[in-house]
Amino acid sequence: MTIPAFAVERDLAKRALDTARTRGATYADVRFVRRDEENALVKNGRLDAVDRSDSFGFGVRAMADGAWGFAASQIVAAQEADRVGALAVEIAKASALTKKRDATLAPVDAVRATYETPLDVDPFTLSFDDRLKLLMNAEARMRERKGLRTTRAAYAVWREDKLFVSSEGADIAQRLTEVGGGIAAEAVGNGELQIRTYPDGLRYQNAGGWEILTRWDLIGNAERVADEAVALLSAKPCPQDTITSVILSGNQLSLHCHESCGHPIELDRALGSEAAFAGTSFLTPDKLGTFRYGSSQVNIRIDATSEGGLGTFGFDDEGVPASEGWAVKEGIFVGYLMSRETAAALGTRSNGTMRADGWARVPIIRMTNVSVMPGDAGTLDDLIADTDDGILMDTNRSWSIDDKRFNFQFGTEVGWEIKNGKRRDMVRNPTYTGLTPEFWGSCDAICSESEWVMWGTPNCGKGQPGQGAHTGHGAAPARFRDVRVGVIK
Amino acid sequence: MSGVLFGDRELHAIAERALRAAAGDQAEALIIGKTGSLTRFANSAIHQNVTSREAELRVRVVVGTRRATATTNRLDDDGLRRAAELASDLARRAPEDPTYPGLPAPRPIPSAPSAYVEKTAEATPLDRARAAKTLCDKASAVKLIAAGFVATNVQEIAVASTLGTWAYAPQTYAEAQIAAIGDDGSAFAQRVSTDVTSLDVEGAAAEAVGKAAIAQHPRDLAPDTYEVVLTPYAVRDMVGFLGMQLSGLAVEEGRSFVGGKIGQKVTGPITLVEDPYDSRSIPRAFDFEGQPSERLTLIEDGVARAVVYDSVTAHRNNAVNTGHAQPFVGLPAPMHVRLEAGDKTREQLVAGVKKGVLVTRFHYTRWVHQLRTIVTGMTRDGTFAILDGEIAHPVKNFRFTQSYHEALGEVRGISKDLSLLVTGEQFGLMTSCQRVPALHLGAFTFTGATRY
Repeated sequence: MTIPAFAVERDLAKRALDTARTRGATYADVRFVRRDEENALVKNGRLDAVDRSDSFGFGVRAMADGAWGFAASQIVAAQEADRVGALAVEIAKASALTKKRDATLAPVDAVRATYETPLDVDPFTLSFDDRLKLLMNAEARMRERKGLRTTRAAYAVWREDKLFVSSEGADIAQRLTEVGGGIAAEAVGNGELQIRTYPDGLRYQNAGGWEILTRWDLIGNAERVADEAVALLSAKPCPQDTITSVILSGNQLSLHCHESCGHPIELDRALGSEAAFAGTSFLTPDKLGTFRYGSSQVNIRIDATSEGGLGTFGFDDEGVPASEGWAVKEGIFVGYLMSRETAAALGTRSNGTMRADGWARVPIIRMTNVSVMPGDAGTLDDLIADTDDGILMDTNRSWSIDDKRFNFQFGTEVGWEIKNGKRRDMVRNPTYTGLTPEFWGSCDAICSESEWVMWGTPNCGKGQPGQGAHTGHGAAPARFRDVRVGVIK
Repeated sequence: MSGVLFGDRELHAIAERALRAAAGDQAEALIIGKTGSLTRFANSAIHQNVTSREAELRVRVVVGTRRATATTNRLDDDGLRRAAELASDLARRAPEDPTYPGLPAPRPIPSAPSAYVEKTAEATPLDRARAAKTLCDKASAVKLIAAGFVATNVQEIAVASTLGTWAYAPQTYAEAQIAAIGDDGSAFAQRVSTDVTSLDVEGAAAEAVGKAAIAQHPRDLAPDTYEVVLTPYAVRDMVGFLGMQLSGLAVEEGRSFVGGKIGQKVTGPITLVEDPYDSRSIPRAFDFEGQPSERLTLIEDGVARAVVYDSVTAHRNNAVNTGHAQPFVGLPAPMHVRLEAGDKTREQLVAGVKKGVLVTRFHYTRWVHQLRTIVTGMTRDGTFAILDGEIAHPVKNFRFTQSYHEALGEVRGISKDLSLLVTGEQFGLMTSCQRVPALHLGAFTFTGATRY
């Protein structure tokens, strides 16, 4: 067991809860969070940056007069626990000034439990020299290719130890560990700036140990990545404003799923909580269980227990256990990501998706692992062989979607024309655009489990003040018919 | 920490302790403190109401041409020592970097107008809740739903180094945002001020509610290239994207539209100034390396004049350090951009349009092609058709895919009033602000539409 004992923190949490109750809280919870990170970037043959960071503090969430308040501090001391507990209640009472109805919480079993990310190689016990060597070697291999302007290799190692204690009696300690990284090559010329990366931008990340990064063979792929970046400068443009079939790589489909399914199934968005900022959702509660989101090929799973997922944990930040279920089943929209409060509004129980960005932010609904499940189309080569005419698009370069998650436009690093079942010429600046249900409705093939990978988004932004979240998205390559491609000339 | 601020003396003492614990040829301590309080409302009621008090130290240690940083929010002796030792150890293990010049030597920092207002720092939860209630009530009175926030923030930035650098500045800012939402249309308004007592909450409510009233029942309008009038909220987005490309690093990496074009025409007749001393912005006279920040004309009447540098990119490119280091080392950027005012009222801008579109706000804008400054995004919260110089009717939201600097190639009008807006959080810190006008542009390309 490597999870900290949290003895001092547990006493302070109880003290803050007592203060909150004394001041009038009808519910309160306290989270202590310690986060350790190391980020390194090798660029153009030099170590451009390496930073080791730690952050430790606690946040108190309190309900009083039927409204919410939250306060946080990094001073871990008894007097500060009292101050912050009282301040959370003072803020909650101020919130009640505009209250229309009392906030209510769906029930949850208050448990004492622990959880720890399974891993093989603890990244924090490796020497810095060993971590850095991988980047230096991969980046050096790319620089062997003439014609590149910028080469990068990066890693991120991340750990969060956290304690959750609630006024209902929950006491949960967790240790979450993640590792990520990748390589990137940029070429400039002919009025173009082109980039190729591997395995997914510089933002590939999974839950687990150092083995996550070493299994991708960054060094073995460096030459190909460099070659493709240079080749893109003279590649022909993506066909302009054309309707055709598109095959998306697994990493591109994972981000497409994140934006067009993961966000619109957040119930706080659907109920209006993000209306002024991130937006709302076209998947309103009246559509639950009946709305055709995609073709019958489309099955999208919500699963906080998936191996390696950035949304994998034991319990969310409301003490709700990790769960699995469906967002879309055979094309029909069937499930939301929920908190205890929003679940109560639907008359159900939370599926455990409340997560906070460290100790200083209040938990909000975030994606766990929202994954497009594999189909039966075989390998990517099989899918290409089954496609007469279209474009294969690989690895995200640009992404945008409207504030109801309806109209989207994505661009990828590279594309290849498909003619008569064969991958042909490379194309540069590929883009595709459409409307969410029409696009997923046009999905007619998804590759099989052998092509399915748990991808991740370690930089998902939401909320005010801004919060970053780490979310997981499994996906395999998939084909979509009658897609509008080629928006820029 | 006592009261709202650490203060100059306490932060200097923390920095000194960290620097003493560092084992290298040079060391630098950057300390960022922030108390951020934000009262958020939706469906015309407060649903999130938060405050947090955060402070962290980043210590950078240099050994020869090797360097590393460590960051911690443990500001006691143990925490400071541990961070300094970690940075020192990583720096010793880092490879040599012949391009690294070492830490910048201290230079005199000019005085800048104060951006700290005590009343903003001392605003209470009840103050923010009352302001939120004002916004909600104004919307509810005309059967609209309000969503948005009221925030007050106080932040401190301090930089010290073993070479003798010392820079310190406290800043405050208050902000209100509101989207007024009807059954079939919405509108947005935002206000920012260093002084919470000057925060125009009533004005924000009136703007959003008034515009929402005419934003209902939008009609279809075919995506095409139109003349546009952009409010400052949309112009801020353009200035933010272009600002990212107006750095020595962007030029070095070949992704800047001004690369190789200093002294040449790159836009229509606009003037873009980086002005850290603008008393009507949120001024700060130094950057995150403690170097004096220069006032620079980046684009003058459409001609590219300058880009910004930090110590590292300036050295590598044989340029002068303009004092624009950000908290993330090696990524210089302008942080106080002003697009100079014109001579028209906003009404006159609309009156000058024969057939076009008024855009209140952009949403989810992202690069499509950096070198060509092509950005895609959506319109939201108040998009209108303009016919014969008047707002004709609301239209459904568009997707645009447009080169931002090319859109500025045909500037037909600039408003004479500027709005102060903020963006750019790093380490939970507001690092950049803009003062921008409304613009009338001759051509802007909308490439798609949505259904609302």
